[in-house]
Amino acid sequence: MSNKKSVLSSRAKTMEFAKAWLIMLPSLVLMTFFVWEPLFESVRMSLFKTRNVELISFIGLDNYVSVMKKDDFLQALVNTFSYTFWSLLIGFLLPIVLAVLIGETRRWRGIFRTIAYLPNMLPGLAVVILWSNFFSGGKTGVLNILLSHLNIPPQTYLTRAEWVIPIIILVATWKGAGATALIYMASIAGISPELYEAATIDGANVWRRIIHIMIPAIKKLTGTLLILQIISVFQIMYEPMVLTKGGPDNASLSLMQLMWQYAFGGAMNYGKASAVAVIVTIILLLMTAVYSYFNRKESDWE
Amino acid sequence: MKKTQYTGVIREYDMHSVSVKVGYGFIIFLCILMAVIALFPLVWVILAGFKDLKEFMSSESLLPNSFDPAPFILTWEQLGIAKNYLNSLIAVVGSVICAIIFNGLLGYGLGILKPKGYGIVKKMVMLSLLLPTTISIVPLFMNIQNLNLGNSFVPLWLSYGANAMYVILFVQFFEALPHSIIEAGHIDGASQLQTFFHIVLPLSKPICSVIAIFAINATWSDFLLPYLVLRGASMQTVMVRLFVFSTEQTVNADAMMRSVVFSMIPPIILFFIFQKQLTENAVSVGIKG
Repeated sequence: MSNKKSVLSSRAKTMEFAKAWLIMLPSLVLMTFFVWEPLFESVRMSLFKTRNVELISFIGLDNYVSVMKKDDFLQALVNTFSYTFWSLLIGFLLPIVLAVLIGETRRWRGIFRTIAYLPNMLPGLAVVILWSNFFSGGKTGVLNILLSHLNIPPQTYLTRAEWVIPIIILVATWKGAGATALIYMASIAGISPELYEAATIDGANVWRRIIHIMIPAIKKLTGTLLILQIISVFQIMYEPMVLTKGGPDNASLSLMQLMWQYAFGGAMNYGKASAVAVIVTIILLLMTAVYSYFNRKESDWE
Repeated sequence: MKKTQYTGVIREYDMHSVSVKVGYGFIIFLCILMAVIALFPLVWVILAGFKDLKEFMSSESLLPNSFDPAPFILTWEQLGIAKNYLNSLIAVVGSVICAIIFNGLLGYGLGILKPKGYGIVKKMVMLSLLLPTTISIVPLFMNIQNLNLGNSFVPLWLSYGANAMYVILFVQFFEALPHSIIEAGHIDGASQLQTFFHIVLPLSKPICSVIAIFAINATWSDFLLPYLVLRGASMQTVMVRLFVFSTEQTVNADAMMRSVVFSMIPPIILFFIFQKQLTENAVSVGIKG
């Protein structure tokens, strides 16, 4: 911007700018206090030996080394990737399928859309507690009651190491899939029906229209939502905390949950907790970088 | 202008084919199945709430023996949920005000005033969108402790005044506002702050209502930071109380289910009031939601 007008107007302009910054100042202070400073503080704290809220002494990467040396770290790392894997397997395609299905309905579309979004409005914690009773073992667990009608004997679910992560992802998907589907729906509804009609004249049936018109139209959005899903599931924390407490035998312990345990699980070791947080941030930044590298032709985030 | 144009891939002329008709029937079936799966847990948890402890622990039926609301009333009174509701209300009201004022003012600066150097701030806000929020919970909690702001609603309220997503939404909306109206206010001698409150905000009702709904829902559902900050039992919000129940297992399973129901009632009411705004506007906002 170049304002080479009269001196007076440029002085007035400077005053205006100063006032504008003054107006933003309170918000900037809040952003600094709640968002930016904690981020840097996280990194700084991870390099210090801490006692409660005090930084005792600079210890370099010792926190990282001692965190990584413990068995639960590797377990949590593997689990977190496992969460991500299952989330992509269960939760990635489902919203797209839902969006296509709901978009095709000629009747009750508004109702289906509303119902699909509803679970997303419910408090996450309440949802998790609700589902924990659904999956509770024994004869009074809801799933077991349902299965008993099919003459299947009661099973246990959340105490099985091989099942906990997929189940937790199922719960998270139940809550979130509908809301994501609405985003896809908006994108699909933006496709001009004339395209489908033109394709029909060329002899394309419904399937071909889906594959050659609809799918390419949502490809870019799909990439964006994919990376956002990975970022969000990588931070999974309260779901396993409440559903399984990380069990059985750390089988569902996530990295962020490990961070929480270091900080607030009694030990109050904020230095080590920050080290875990920084590791998670680095992994996420790396994944985002890889994504934007492969996507650099169309890298503008909508 | 037709209000709802049908944009599906299956066109009217396709419906003459039998196989497409069958396929369409299958689509409707799957949608109904989706609706059942989405609603079943809600119906079930309410049904479970009617069971007393003995029935809850022993009954192998989803339906309760009776639909007497007494267990709900008893739990409400015994656990003193009204107090938690009040605390949640305090948290929500303050957070919504902060969310609109502070994010709105920053959005005003970055979207309309644009003083020299605003670009850097805008980039920083955009970048913080990508960064995970839970990661800074430890240093944030320490900051709050160090400033002796623990056991107060103030840090919770203010934390909603620093939301990168809301700022970006405001910026996008403000940038699309007709510039002439804002200029006019300026010529009338209104200060920048007056322009914001008297001209920009009244023009921004749509975005304000979306952000208000999001902030209400986010504050109501939030429990991690509130749990750390509001240690005193007298200040616990509904979700903090529920979190304490779930970690310390101090209540029976049946009362727990009723507490879950209580915690879901306000969001559900909110949802049905603002259903249209949510399912339509939420789409543009939803990506990070």
